[in-house]
Order: sequence, then C-alpha cells, then structure tokens
Amino acid sequence: MKLYCLSGHPTLPCNVLKFKSTTIMLDCGLDTTAALYFLPLPLVHSPRLSKLPGWVSKDGAVNLEKELKECSGRVFVDSQPEFCLPEKELLDLSTIDVILISNYHCMMALPYITEHTGFTGTVYATEPTLQIGRLLMEELVTFMERVPKAQAATCWKNKEIQRLLPGPLKDAVDVWSWRKCYSVQEVNSALSKVQLVGYSQKVELFGAVQVTPLSSGYSLGSSNWIIQSHYEKVSYVSGSSLLTTHPQPMEQSSLKNSDVLILTGLTQIPTANPDGMLGEFCSNLAMTIRAGGNVLVPCYSSGVIYDLLECLYQFMDSANLGSTPFYFISPVANSSLEFSQIFAEWLCQNKQSKVYLPEPPFPHAELIQTNKLKHYPSIHGDFSSEFRQPCVVFTGHPSLRFGDVVHFMELWGKSSLNTIIFTEPDFSYLDALAPYQPLAMKCVYCPIDTRLNFHQVSKLLKDIQPLHVVCPEPYTQPPPAQPHRSDLMLELQPPPMAYRRCSVLGLPFRRRYERIHLLPELARSLVPSEIKAGVSVATVSAVLQSKDNKHVLQPVPKPAPVPPSKKRKRVTEEPPEVLNPKPLLSGAVPLEPFLAMLHKNGITEVKVEETADGHILHLQTEDVLIQLEEDATHIICDNNEPLRTALRDLVLRFLQKL
Amino acid sequence: MDSDCLSLLPAVCLVLADPKQAPPDDTSLEKLLDWFKELHSQSNGQVLLQDQPCLLEFISSVCTSETTDPAILSFTLKLTGLLAATKQGFHLLEEGGLLLCAFEREACYVCDLWEDASVRSGWLQGLLNMLKHQKSLDFICRNGLIKVVLQLQNDRSLFVASLANQLLVHILNFLTSSSTTNGSDAVGSSVSSLRSDWVSVSSEIMNAVVEALSSEDHPQVLRGLRLLSLVLSQCGEPIRSMLWKDVLVPLEVLIKRGSESLTQTLMTVLQAADTSARPVEELLEAMLGDGNRKECFQCAALVVKLEKCPEVSKRKATGIILLPLQCVSTQPQTEIETYLVLNEQLSQKASCISLLMQSLSSLAELAHRKFLFEDISIHSITSSVVWLLRMCSGQCPSSLLRINASIHLIGCCKVQRCGLDTLGALSVYEENVDLRKDIFGVLLDYLQSPDSHATVLKKTFQAAVRWIAVCSPFPDLLQFISHDLFPVLEKRMCDLRWEVRDSTLEFITQLTTALNGNSGFTEALHTSGMVSVLLSSLADTEGYVRASAVAAVGEAVTASFHHAATERNSSLLEKALTQMMIALSQDTEGFPRRAVVKAFTSWLKGSHPVTALESSLSSVLSLGGNDFDWEVKMHTLELAEVLMEKTLTCCPYIVQNVDFSEKTRLTQALSRLKDYGLFDLLFNSLLDCDRPVCEKACALLVRLRTLTAETADLDHSALVLNVCGNRWGDEVQSRYLNKQQA
Repeated sequence: MKLYCLSGHPTLPCNVLKFKSTTIMLDCGLDTTAALYFLPLPLVHSPRLSKLPGWVSKDGAVNLEKELKECSGRVFVDSQPEFCLPEKELLDLSTIDVILISNYHCMMALPYITEHTGFTGTVYATEPTLQIGRLLMEELVTFMERVPKAQAATCWKNKEIQRLLPGPLKDAVDVWSWRKCYSVQEVNSALSKVQLVGYSQKVELFGAVQVTPLSSGYSLGSSNWIIQSHYEKVSYVSGSSLLTTHPQPMEQSSLKNSDVLILTGLTQIPTANPDGMLGEFCSNLAMTIRAGGNVLVPCYSSGVIYDLLECLYQFMDSANLGSTPFYFISPVANSSLEFSQIFAEWLCQNKQSKVYLPEPPFPHAELIQTNKLKHYPSIHGDFSSEFRQPCVVFTGHPSLRFGDVVHFMELWGKSSLNTIIFTEPDFSYLDALAPYQPLAMKCVYCPIDTRLNFHQVSKLLKDIQPLHVVCPEPYTQPPPAQPHRSDLMLELQPPPMAYRRCSVLGLPFRRRYERIHLLPELARSLVPSEIKAGVSVATVSAVLQSKDNKHVLQPVPKPAPVPPSKKRKRVTEEPPEVLNPKPLLSGAVPLEPFLAMLHKNGITEVKVEETADGHILHLQTEDVLIQLEEDATHIICDNNEPLRTALRDLVLRFLQKL
Repeated sequence: MDSDCLSLLPAVCLVLADPKQAPPDDTSLEKLLDWFKELHSQSNGQVLLQDQPCLLEFISSVCTSETTDPAILSFTLKLTGLLAATKQGFHLLEEGGLLLCAFEREACYVCDLWEDASVRSGWLQGLLNMLKHQKSLDFICRNGLIKVVLQLQNDRSLFVASLANQLLVHILNFLTSSSTTNGSDAVGSSVSSLRSDWVSVSSEIMNAVVEALSSEDHPQVLRGLRLLSLVLSQCGEPIRSMLWKDVLVPLEVLIKRGSESLTQTLMTVLQAADTSARPVEELLEAMLGDGNRKECFQCAALVVKLEKCPEVSKRKATGIILLPLQCVSTQPQTEIETYLVLNEQLSQKASCISLLMQSLSSLAELAHRKFLFEDISIHSITSSVVWLLRMCSGQCPSSLLRINASIHLIGCCKVQRCGLDTLGALSVYEENVDLRKDIFGVLLDYLQSPDSHATVLKKTFQAAVRWIAVCSPFPDLLQFISHDLFPVLEKRMCDLRWEVRDSTLEFITQLTTALNGNSGFTEALHTSGMVSVLLSSLADTEGYVRASAVAAVGEAVTASFHHAATERNSSLLEKALTQMMIALSQDTEGFPRRAVVKAFTSWLKGSHPVTALESSLSSVLSLGGNDFDWEVKMHTLELAEVLMEKTLTCCPYIVQNVDFSEKTRLTQALSRLKDYGLFDLLFNSLLDCDRPVCEKACALLVRLRTLTAETADLDHSALVLNVCGNRWGDEVQSRYLNKQQA
C-alpha cells in the first residue's frame, strides 16, 4: 500500500492511494497562492496600475519592462495570474481509477487532472460539493476571462533570469509547472465525470474496496472518506469541523479502528479562535460604519460568508446599524445564496428543522427580502446605480488579484475611513495587499477558519485511535512563526508519518487476510472438528475462482463419465485423480507424559536435552533421536522400521487427526 | 393576637396528636415552634405549661403513641426541650414523667422511629433547647444520654452529626459556665474547678475526641477534628487547656502522617487554638514541612490567610505558596529542582491550575494587607505574575522554562482571571510603578485579544483601573491611554457581547472618575472621539449597556465641568442632556432611566454649579416622580434631597445679598424649590404605592418642616401659603382625596 503525495499544501491536498489493485486520488486542491506574484486584473482601467514602472535590473542587463512591474519596492508579473498545480510527474495520472472529493475547496484542480491526462476514471462527490464547486470554478473562469490579457509572461521564468529577480519572485518554486486558469469547457467536461454520492453510502470499487463518504462538518456537503476492504481500513480526514456552524455535524464514530488515518485540512490559523475572530469582524465593521466608512470583505462566494451574513443579521440591529446595506458581488452570488437554501438535508439539525416550518434555513433570505442584502453579478450594471455608502461589500477573490474586489481596492484604498477585513485564511494579507501600497484604508485580519485545531484533533485521535497517522509535514512541528508553541503540533505515539510534495510513502501495514466465499454445496460437504473450544477446522478441497477481486471456492467438478471410446485418451484430458487426503495432525506432544509413555513401552533410558525450539530425546539403548519441536517432530532411527513405526504411533497418540 | 392563638391551642394539639390526621408539612411545624419560642421568651417567668395543660397531654400522648408520625415526634421533642428550659417547666415535665418519656433512649427506639433522621435531630435539638439550667444537665448525665450524643456524632445524617457536635460543645461550655456561677475558680486550668460529678462528663467527651483522633478510620478522624475545632473556638478554660494537652500527641501523629484531605480541618483546629502559642507554632511548622509535600501548599495558602499567626510561620508559608508561581514563570533555578512533588503536580493540568490559583490568590491576599516580602523582591513577584499572564495568552516562549506548564495554561480563563486580580492587587506596592510598561503591555494584550473571555476582560479592566490610578502622576500614562487604550476601548464598545460593551463603559466611567481633574485626560477623551462613541452607545440595544453609557456620559460631562466652559463642553452637555431626557421619558427599561436620574444627582452634587442643568431639573423631577419603576422614584427623591440641600444651604443661583434676612433667603429658596416642582414630587410620593418611596418623601418633608421651624423669625402661615398656596396638612389631604376619587 502506497501513498503518492502530489501536493504539499496541508489544506489543499492531492494524494494518491494505491490500495489492493485500486488507485484512488484523494482530493485535488489547487494552490492559488501563486497568483500573489501577479499584478491585479482591474475591471475598470486603473491609471495607477497602468503607470507602474517596468522592471529593469540595476545594471540594466536584464530588461523585463513588459513582463514585470514594480510597485512599492516589489516586483509583480504583469500577466494573467497562474496557479500551482498538483505534481503531474510523480505517477501516470491516466492510471487513476477514482477521485474522491472531500469539499468544494479541494476540487479546484479537477480540470487539470481529468482533462488532457488520459484520465478515464470516475470522480465521487456529494451534490452540494459538485454544485458549489462548479460555482467556484465558473466564478474563477469568469474573473479571468472578463479581463483578458493579450500576452503571457514567460521570460521571467527562465532560471537564469529568475535568479536575478528580487525576492520573493526569485524564490518562487516550480514556476514552469504553473498554469493559467482552465476554460468553461474544461470545467464542464471535468464535472461530467462526477458521480454523486450521499453520506454513508457504500460505493464498491471493482469489488476490491469500498469507499464511503462521511459528514465532516466543515462546509455544505463536505466529507471525510473511509476506504476499506474486508480486513483493512484507511480513513481520509480532510477539512473537518466540530464547531456548530451551518453544515451537518462531523461524523466521528465511523472513523474508529482505522489502520491508517490520513489527516489533512486542519485549521490554517491555529492561534485564531473562530468565535473571537467573528467578534473582531463585527466590532471592526461596526466601528468603520459608525465613523462613516465602508467595509470591504474579500471572500469566497460560498462557505464562511453564510455564517458571516447570519452573524451580521443579528449584530447589525443590536449595533444600531440596521440601515447599512450589504452588497454581495460575484458572478455566482445569486446561485450561491439560493443553493445554500435548497440543500436542507446537508445542513445542521437546527437549520434542517426550519425547512419544515417552512422557513428558509439561512436568514440571508430575510436580509434579501428586506433589501438589506443585495447581490449583483458584477460592479457593472444595476449595482452602480443602486450603490449607497457607507456599506459593506462582500466580493472575491480573496487573493485581491482578480474579481470585483480589485475595483473596490482602487476605489476605497485611498481613504482611511474605509476598512478591508480579511476573513479567508488562505492568503497572507500582507502579500495580498502588496500591489496596492501605499494604502490609506485600514486593514484588519480576522481569519475565520472553522477546521479542526490541534487541541480538537488530538482529542479526536484519542477517541478513534488509528494505528498509524499520516499527515503533511507542517503538522509535525510548531508553526515557524511561533516555535515555542509546542501545543500547535501533532504529538502522537507512534509519531505520525509526515509527507511533503512528491513524497511516496509506503504505508506501514501488511495485508494478511483476504475474504473467500464458500459455495453452499461445498460448505455442506465440510466436516469440521473442534480442535479447541470455539475453534473448529476442516480440510477443504475445492477450486478457487477469482474474478472481479472476489474469491469463491467451488466444489471440485466431478470427472465426466468416461465415454466408451476405444480411442487413446490424451493424458492432459484426464481428470485429476482425487485421492483421499492424508489426515492432518494438530496438537503438541507434552514432554512428561510422552516420557511416561515411552517408559511404559519399555524404553527407559532416555536422555532429554533442551533446545531453542523444544527438546531432543536420546533413546540411548535403541540409539534413536526424537526431536520434539513446536511445529515438527522427527524420529531419527537408522534401519529399524518397526521401532520407528512404534515410536511414530506413540507420538500420534498425543495428536489430533483431521 | 397571642391570646386568640392560645385559645386555639388545645384544638391544635388534638389535631397534631391524632395519628389519623395527615401530619402538616415541616414548615408549618417550624412556624409553630417559632411562635412557641417567641411566647417563651416573652413569658417573663410565667410558665406556659401551667396555663396550657393541653401541652402536657399532647406531649404525653405523642411520646407514648406507637403510631406517631416522625415529623410530629421530632416537633414534640423540640417543644418539650423548649418547655423544659425554665426550671419550673422542667419541674412540671419531670413530675409528670414526661421528660423521661420523651428523652430516655429506650423510649425513642420504639417503633423504629429512631431510624428517622428527623427524630434524632429533634431529640438533639430538644436537649439543646433544654440545656439552660443545671437540672437539665443533671438529667442528661444521670440518664447516660451523653453516650447517645457521642454516638450521634457519627450519624450518617450530616445534620444530626453536626447538631450532636454542637450539643457536646454546649454541654462542655455549660459545665464551665455553671462552675463559674457556682463561685468556684473557673479561670484556673485545673480539673478541680469543675464540679466533681461533672468531671466524668467532661472527660467522657474529651476522651471521645482523643479516641477519634487516634483512629485509623478517616471519617472518624475528620469528625474528631471538627469537634475539636468547635471546642477550641467556643469553649472557655479549663476545658480548652485540658483538651489541648490531651490531643497534642495524636495531632502531631496526624500531621506527620500527612493527608491532603485533612489539611483544611487541621488548619481550622490550629486556627481555633491560640496560633501564637508555642506548640501550635511547632505544629504549623510541621504542617508546612519543607515545601516538598502535596498538602503543604494548601496549608501554606491557609496560613497566609490567618490573621494571628507567628511571623516565622507566615514567612515560611509565603515562601511555599509562591513556589508554584515562581516555578512556572521564572528562569530555571537549581534550587527549584529539589521540589519533586511540585514539579510533578505542575505537569498535570488540574493540579497545575489549582496550585497556581492558590498561589495567585494568596499573593493577592498578602498584597491586600500590604505584606512586606523579605526574601524576594516585589519586583520579581510582579514580573512573575506578568509573565504568567503572558503565558496564559500564548505569548511567552515556554522553551525558556523548565516546566512545560504552558500547554495547560494557554487560554485558561481561570488562571487568567485570578492572575489579573492579583496583578490589580499588586498595585499597592509603590515600587511596582517601575514595571508599569510591562504591566500595561500585558493588560493591553488581554484587551486586544479576540479570544479574551468577557469575564477575563472585566478583570482586565478592574486591574487596569487600579494601575492607572496608581500611575496617574506619570506623564507617559496619558500617551498610553490616548494611543493604545482608547482605540481598543472603541473597538470593545462595538463588541458582539453586551457584557463586554457594558464592562467597557463601566471602565471608562471609572477611568474618568479616577483621573478627575486631569486636563490632559479630558482633552484626550474629546479629541480621540471617545465622547462621540459614548454618546452613540446611549442607543445600544441592551438596557444594561445603555445604563452604563448614561453613567459614562455623565462622568465625561462632570470631567468637562472642571475646565473652562468651552464651546465643545457646552455642546457635549447639550447633547448629553437631550439624549438623557429622551432616555428618561422614553426608555422601555428601568436601568437606563435610573442611571439618568443618578447622573443628574451626581452633577448636582458636584462642586461646580451648572446653570445649564436648571432648565432640565423640573422635567427630571416630574418624569422621575411619575415613573413606574420604584427605584427611579427613589433616585428622583435622592436628587430632590440634593437639590434641597443645595438650594437651602446656599443658593448659588441667587446673588447673595448681605441685607437679606434669613426669612427672605429661606422664602426665596423654598419658592425656587416650588418652581422646580419639588413639592409636587414630595406630596405625590407621600401617597405612592411603594413604601420606601413614601418613607423617603415623608422624611424629606419632615426635614423641610424642621428647617422652617428652626428659622426663628418666620411667619409660618405666610411662608406656607406663599410656597404652596395651602397648608401642608390640607395639601396632603386634598391630594389623598383626589387620588381616592381617581
């Protein structure tokens, strides 16, 4: 059993598990942080960005004026943003049988894997994962295609040139594997390979293993996966949450008794408690609005935004900010808000029960009804005419490199009254803000990551007790920024196996058993004999048939009646001769009673020698050696067949026959 | 009323004694007993039993019946004891054989009634009630009841056991006090000072204590210790010294054996004994040990709290109780390595937290009494607390520490709260002001941290107020307040949790009070925009928060009175007055309305006359007086009181004229009060449905009347007519009639 790690990112995993003749990809997350090296894509012409000076090396030897622009001492690539894909060279992606998706954030690289690689397998995901994943992909594509860039910058990637560039561009790794965003066609084609599954539904893969999604409590339709055969169980824990937010709570008990637990997707900000951050978010928002400023919240169009809206729904009235409008701007804003209301069965109990009242599960429906929350596909069109300040704007993309957020950064960045509140933990806010410097607007970092923290995970592991844990390398040491926080790492016994990008791990357990079915008629013919209390054995003579990874023992076919033919038969056609099998022996020869028995039969001079495996008995008069070992007994007796037979029979008296 | 009740008594006794009737509930029996007690105390020697023979019949029938309900029997036993408390009563009962019938142990075992704890408790209570004269003690001794009481000391019911202890102490006390009254030498410590027939009683009880202490059975030891501490704290000589002499050896053995669960009780015993006595000092010393035993920390924490305690023990205890704190929050010291037990306890979460809490709260206790630390500087102690608080918020590099306790402590609210309390308490040491930068730093961290629990924030605010008050002379304080503190407070006033918003506003109020007169602070309050945030908090959705906001705005206005009337100040006052009057007239909750009236009272009390208030005062009096919340009305009457004082003692709003006679001055003052609507308020409140309001109004009116009566040359009829247009009595009457008609 092997694990191929195609991504080292702890929360955007992409691993391939080879287990019992199946090849299973676990998630395919897309690391979009590479976009931070690029200049933002403004929706409206930005004089500031267009006037940025091009980059020329100090000595003038390298001139990349067209590709690289300088902004506040940092250099950015002026091209369509690119993303860092999962490793494609580690194994042949066309051999992958299935891809299991755990949540919509972990499937963004799907088109890169399923298209143009020869992939012919199936992708398994829950319905909300598929639908919201589709929205996120479509949004990404729209963000890119709305602002086409004529040229693609590639010269800077040249190793010789990259070496000369200023940091952090100089230190970017694997830049040649970075790719531009996929197209809508590729998204559609990739998603057409998805087969929907429900929680706890057992899916057979080629008869060899069974995979089951379990609720993970992190987002709508998010799941952990159990991959098991009859005798082995591997659990895959991806983004999971124990907090009471909107999704169904995490199912933990089914993860028990795993041989291996692959643990990914823990919180990215272990020091930030989501409740505290939500409080920070609200108070900073209220402070800004009270002072007459606007609040910009760069966020994904699904996920935490639902909880934020719910929280604000209660908070705004209590903070006397009831009349402040919220705007949600995204090409998929409408679908995202509506989808969230129709996936009732995937929601937490509290929200599910609302549906029976009947009420919409999320209060953002009421916000929309009362005109407090308005959503628009983009800043163009209706939004520009209805826009009222001060206001709160939720829009993407959290990297601040593309999407409508770029426009608001240009619009509001100059005033210190306005505030940008970062709630998504995926990007460093300082890096995200780099191309907007100098910036007057206030910045607040309130990352809300509801995924498991180290405290919760160690409690969980104590409960479910997997034999081995596999996790990304960063989880095995304290965060680099806080080397003293030894509480922010996994400390387990045995220590977890850590992986990084391109690791290939041999998982530390051997398969020892395989289930084989006996046909009823064969079972009927068996004669079990009890060798000790509760254990019976029987000898079986049968034909083993293995097909579709299922093994069946069938009765041996009877020899066909010999046709009365005078022709000489060919030897090969002769049915195998069925002999009565020799009886099988079991049990042990106890030393003292055996000696007594020998004595009774006239053998008195016996010298007993203890060996590592048992005893050697030397019958001195007869000059015979009897070796008694745990799994064998030898009688060494030269040319005295009657004595050997007599001794054999004495030995056999102590053993059971089958 | 009592005579009416007494006439019903025979019938009541019949009902109670009737086993066919369902017994009344305990409360009514207790009430009946209370009534008897009252009657008994008022009887002035008259014997109830003589007048009410039905009681004798009742006692006799209950005690001899085999079908009595336990509750009734218990009641009867208590009553019998009560009736036997006087010599005559005792005599009457004994004569009828009723005492023996009720209290003799065999009698009680009848019908398994003794199995009921209420009966046993009633029996003990009865004896306790009876034990007011020698005959009763004789009765107890003669009938061998002491043995039963000693047995009941080990009763499975805690109430019974505790009552038995009380009774034993009472008996011992009675032995000594009776001896004193008998004229023998009670102060002497010899046994001979007790009556010879009572020596056996006292030694029986004391032997039981010694026996219990020497027992191997833990609960029995505990009971022995409890009785011992009661005797030591409540009995006089010679019992105390006699007992102390006997228990010294078993106590030493117990202490040497060392059991954590006994520490608390042992300490109570030592505390009850004279802690300054030499043997007690030695025992204390033994209990504290060398600081390497589990129980020594609890013991040290208790010693620190002792008021009378040998200096040596206290110093030793202080050293021990500070160990956990130092161990967790200071650099490695070779010395600490020797404390193996401590290290082990600090490595476990529960014991680590409880030890640190003990350490911190003892430190706070010491600081409270401004204890002078000798072996260790207060600087290093305070730094340890700051360090620990940092560790609790996850900021301290724990790798520097030998004991990795930080994992237990990060985010631990209990230790955070306790630590902040202690840090606040440490502000009493002047030397600590040198550490103010660190202290304010850690307090600010707690205020900023999004994870700080509401209760932790509250404690942070409390500590901050104390430190700010201490550091107010330092110029860097203002810098800290306006640059660091105010932005955090502004954010906290927008917090999701109303508790946090509330405590923030309370803190601002306290801060403003503490820095009253500091012009720099007042300036900062205005320039930083805090005032406008305060004003906007007046519209908070939570009533408590609005009330705190009113108080904070009130204090901010007071602070601005101290400075020259600028346009800014008057605009603040104007805004505040407008919003407060809206709150008083429209707020749906009582707290904000009460706060508004209180703010007016405090403004009026202030030394700076505020003419701008005048126009609002009559509205406040009228709105407050007509409020449906009685507390608002009370506060309004308090406001009226201050107004009266101010107006009548010196009238700041009138140009003083030396030529004015006393009479003119008073008349003018009264007519001003009338203009404010004060008399309307007082007369209306006099007829209020809430008693405290009526009383207060009445008191104020009486005060006014006295004042006018004292003014010699006053023509009362003229004054009254001028002020109210009516005589007060008539005024009250007419208002009363109006109210009745309405």
